[in-house]
Parts: sequence; C-alpha cells; structure tokens
Amino acid sequence: MRTFLLTLAGLAIGGTALAGLVFSGALNRSVVSRTVETPLTAEQIKALAPQGAKVAAAADCYACHTARGGAPWAGGMPFETPFGVIHATNISPSREGIGGWSRAEFHRALRDGIAPGGRHLYPAMPYTSYRGMTEGDVDALFAYMTTRTPMPVGNAKNGLAFPFDQRWTLAAWNFLNLPASVAEPNPERSELWNRGRYVTEALGHCGECHTPRDLTQGLRTSKALTGAVIEGLEAPDITPAGLTHMGFSAASLATFMGSGLSAQGAATHQMFDVVHFSTRHMDRADLLAMAAYFFDRDALTDEAPAVLPEPAPVAADVAARAQATYAGLCAGCHGAMGEGIPHVSVAMRGNASLRTASPSGFVRAVLAGLPAQSFPDGERMEAMPSFAADLDDAAMADLTNWMRAEWGGQAPTVQTRDVAAVRATLTTRHAAGD
Amino acid sequence: MTALPKPQTLSLTVNSKPVSMPVPQGVSMQEFLHEWLGLTGARMGCGQGICNACTVMVEEPGKLPREVRTCITGAHWFEGKTVRTVEGHARQNADGSLTLSPVQQAFVEGFAFQCGYCTPGFVTAATVLIERLRAAPVPREAVERVVSEALDPHICRCTGYVRYHTAVRDLVLATPGLVTA
Repeated sequence: MRTFLLTLAGLAIGGTALAGLVFSGALNRSVVSRTVETPLTAEQIKALAPQGAKVAAAADCYACHTARGGAPWAGGMPFETPFGVIHATNISPSREGIGGWSRAEFHRALRDGIAPGGRHLYPAMPYTSYRGMTEGDVDALFAYMTTRTPMPVGNAKNGLAFPFDQRWTLAAWNFLNLPASVAEPNPERSELWNRGRYVTEALGHCGECHTPRDLTQGLRTSKALTGAVIEGLEAPDITPAGLTHMGFSAASLATFMGSGLSAQGAATHQMFDVVHFSTRHMDRADLLAMAAYFFDRDALTDEAPAVLPEPAPVAADVAARAQATYAGLCAGCHGAMGEGIPHVSVAMRGNASLRTASPSGFVRAVLAGLPAQSFPDGERMEAMPSFAADLDDAAMADLTNWMRAEWGGQAPTVQTRDVAAVRATLTTRHAAGD
Repeated sequence: MTALPKPQTLSLTVNSKPVSMPVPQGVSMQEFLHEWLGLTGARMGCGQGICNACTVMVEEPGKLPREVRTCITGAHWFEGKTVRTVEGHARQNADGSLTLSPVQQAFVEGFAFQCGYCTPGFVTAATVLIERLRAAPVPREAVERVVSEALDPHICRCTGYVRYHTAVRDLVLATPGLVTA
C-alpha cells in the first residue's frame, strides 16, 4: 500500500512537472529558422511547385495521405500502431487540410511536428525524419501542396486509448526522440553519398519502417536500418550486410527502387506502395545516390553480376515433400526450376524473399496471396493465389525450408511455429482459401 | 536436352470413376485431363491462373467443394482426390439422353453464354457456390453479393457477365434451402 501511494505521488509530481515543462515550452526545440516567417510570393510559389512535386514523391506523402479509393491528398488512410489506430489527415489546401497555413506553420508541422495552434502531430507522421529536410525543399513542397485541388473532406477520428489521445504528452516524446539538430553534410564523404543520405533519411524516411523502435516507439538509431517488424511483416535489414545477404548490389538496388522489379524479385506488401507512389517517380540520379548511401560507397563502379548462392543441405524427406508441393502448386507459374514467367510471376531462384533473416514475408505471400501489381513501362506481375487452405503449417515449413535452401542458400531453420505465427495474422477469408 | 520426367503413378477419382495410371512428373492437371483422359472441357485460356476457364471442382469428404485452376496446378497434386470436370455435371439417362444439371439448364435457358469457351469455368463456379449455400444458406439480401464474389474471378471475352449473373442469382433464389427466411 505504502509503495502504491508513493508511486501514485511520484506519478502525480512527475506528471505535474512534465505538464509544467510542456506548457512552459522548455521542451520545444525548433529547427525552423526565422527566415520562413516571410511569406512566399505567388510568383515564387508558381516557380517552386514543380520542384515540390519531386520532393513530395521522394518523401512519399501521397501513399499515406490518400486513402485507397479516396480523394487525392484528403487523408483517411488508417495505421495500426501499438497504441491504437491513427488516420492520416487531409493535407490538401482545404479548410479541413492545410488551407490557410502560413509558410512558417507548414515548416513547423513538417520539421518540428507541431501544427498551427500548437497542436502536436503524432509521430506516425515522420517529422523526426523530415526534420532533416532543407528549407528550400520544404518551401518547394509547401508551394506544391498549396497549389493542389482543395478537397473538402473531414478528418477521421483516431482510435487511441488514454493517455495516448493526449497530444500534449508528445512534447515529452519529442524531448526523448526528436533530434535537437539535423545532420550536416559530411565533408569527408562524396557529394553522391551525402545526397544519398539526405534522400534516404530526410526525404525517403526509410528508417521509419526499416529501423527497430524502442518502448516509446522512438527509432533506435544505434540499430539504424537493421530491420524491424511493422504491421506484422518484416521490413528487412537494409544495411550493406543485409542488402548483400538478400543478393542486392548497388546497381540492382537502384533498379529495384526505380522499377519495383529486379533479379531479386518484385516489391511486395508495403514496399510495393513505396515503389508505386514514391521511388518509381524519383530521378535516376537520386536512386543511384540512395544506392551508394545504402552500400556506404562514395562512388558507384561497374559491378560483376551477383552470383547466386550455393544451395544449402536439406534433409531428403523434407526436400521430397517440398518438391511435391512445389510441383503441384507453385511450378505452374514460377517454373519447375524456379525461373518464373516474364510479366507474370517472379523467379524464385535467387529471390530476396528466400534470403532474408526472417521467412515471414515469404510465408505471408504464400498463405495470403498477393494482388496483381503494375510496374513502370507497362510491366506487370499477376495476382498470386492464397494457399492457406492447401498447406498446413508442416507442409508450409517444409516448402519454405527447401526453397530457402535450394534457391536462397539459407540453412533450413524454419519451424512449424514460425508458420503458425504468420497464419495467425491472416483474415478468415485467407484461411478459407477463397 | 534434359531427360524426360520420370513417370509416377497417379490415382484419383474423376467424374465418379476411379482412374490410375503412370503420368510424368511435372504434367499439369489440365494436360492430364486433355491428353490422358480425353476430357477437354476444362479449357486452356491464359495458362496463368487468371481467366479461370480451366477450373474443376474438388470434393473431399467432410469439406465444402472447392474450385481449383487446372492450368497452374500439377496433376499429381490431385492424388487421391475426387474431381468433377464440366463433363461430370449432366446426368446420363438409361436411354442414353442427358439431363443437364440445374446450373447448366439455367445457363441454357438464360442464354448465358455465347462462344462457350469460358462456360466450363462458370458452371464449376456456380455449382460450387450452390453446394456451399446448401451447407450455409445466406440471407436473401446477400445473394447478389455472393453470386458476384463467386463469378468475379471468371473472365468472359464475349462479356456475358450479366446473363451469367442473372441465371445464377435466379437459380439460387428458386432453389429451396439456399436462402434463409
């Protein structure tokens, strides 16, 4: 009882102190300079908007701020977080969106996470990453967004439990997780590398999915880009070691981001949206810069084509059962030798999904299926059926182990419980095999 | 040149008849039906699992029937299974005449198909739907939706969709036990 009272008193004092700090503004650390208090002229906005379109594509604003089938930029896309559901907001220049926002207010929202009126944004909006954007790019984005068609669409209510629905508490979150300053160009690295870092970290905000998070959901920067689980799926390790392990080279990575397809397979799940709404619209120079940064290189040189991994040994009974499954259900589209069919289905030989540390992305694709996907230049991959009703956990584990070993060179360590964990995330529709 | 695939015995039931014979590994179910059994009703359309002209019914005891695409599924996957192709729906009478299944009759009466290439797939889909509704009837207001969902994966190049849909919907509504009160 005594401990309980002390804890309660501690919490009350702590809470009051926190509230005091928040309301005194002591926790606010803005990176926005005073120069943006001067409004942009109509001519400036017109001149900056085309550059802003490129910034919006690289920063992937549309993917989150447009619900599938919804009005452009009008928000409404739901996000499952450990604290509840958050909806992306309307950012078209309407009354419900950013209509009437000043240049300075836009800068503050994007880089400090604070909307007009001092309203804190939830960090589902990646302002911790956008904080590193240059003043010029934010101006260009402001010019582009304020010249979109206003969409009079109201914002959806968030489903957050107390105390996460209390926006003022985010001042404390920001104090813990928002960097006080932003990365300056590293003079010891090349212009290519520095541009790559800027596009990757400030604009592309790749770390928001590929960097693991701590208990407060802040990014663990010491583990940057080493992979994380997001909405039940693994965003793989994209450090140089992780990318190499998946079979990527800098050149093939740039191709993958630009087209969604490479010898390593097709972009699927959330990464398809990233390619579809963002990276395929980026300049080739920026894709190459990102590839250089991801592989920590100052310059890109011609590379020999990646060598496919040697098959790993698999128990004969596992291989026999898996080969029967593969011949029955997979070979019709992916080929008897895992070679795939151009414009229909990806090759499985050397496919990155068979080489990631976790098999969850592969298992999810097989059990739940994938929708048909369109890629640049008329390229397309057909829908993958769901096989949840055809394959039980043991059969799926055998298939995964054999394919990962045969075409991914990975030791067969997948257990039936790994499959069961992925199956638990499927909807009843997938489980019924419809 | 690779060696010919090794034959492996395949035993299954097709249209109520047991079948058992050596079949090379890697042969698709559709090739098997066409080339080994002479059942050419399950049509080769896209060969990529998209058009569903090639589907057959798989019936397993204790389970609801399912539609399976034969163009992308290996013949040996059907080992031990019970399969109904479009040739297995009509009933042959003692005098040698045929009585169409209710679905086939509804398609004829409703002028549902034109060239007929996709029809085996639509017969399969509609029959699977009706068998499933017999096991789990749906409210009257859900009929349009379940019919759409069942026929949706099937492609008809003559665009006979409306008449297929109407024929199946009317059959579902007219058949006792498929719709709850």
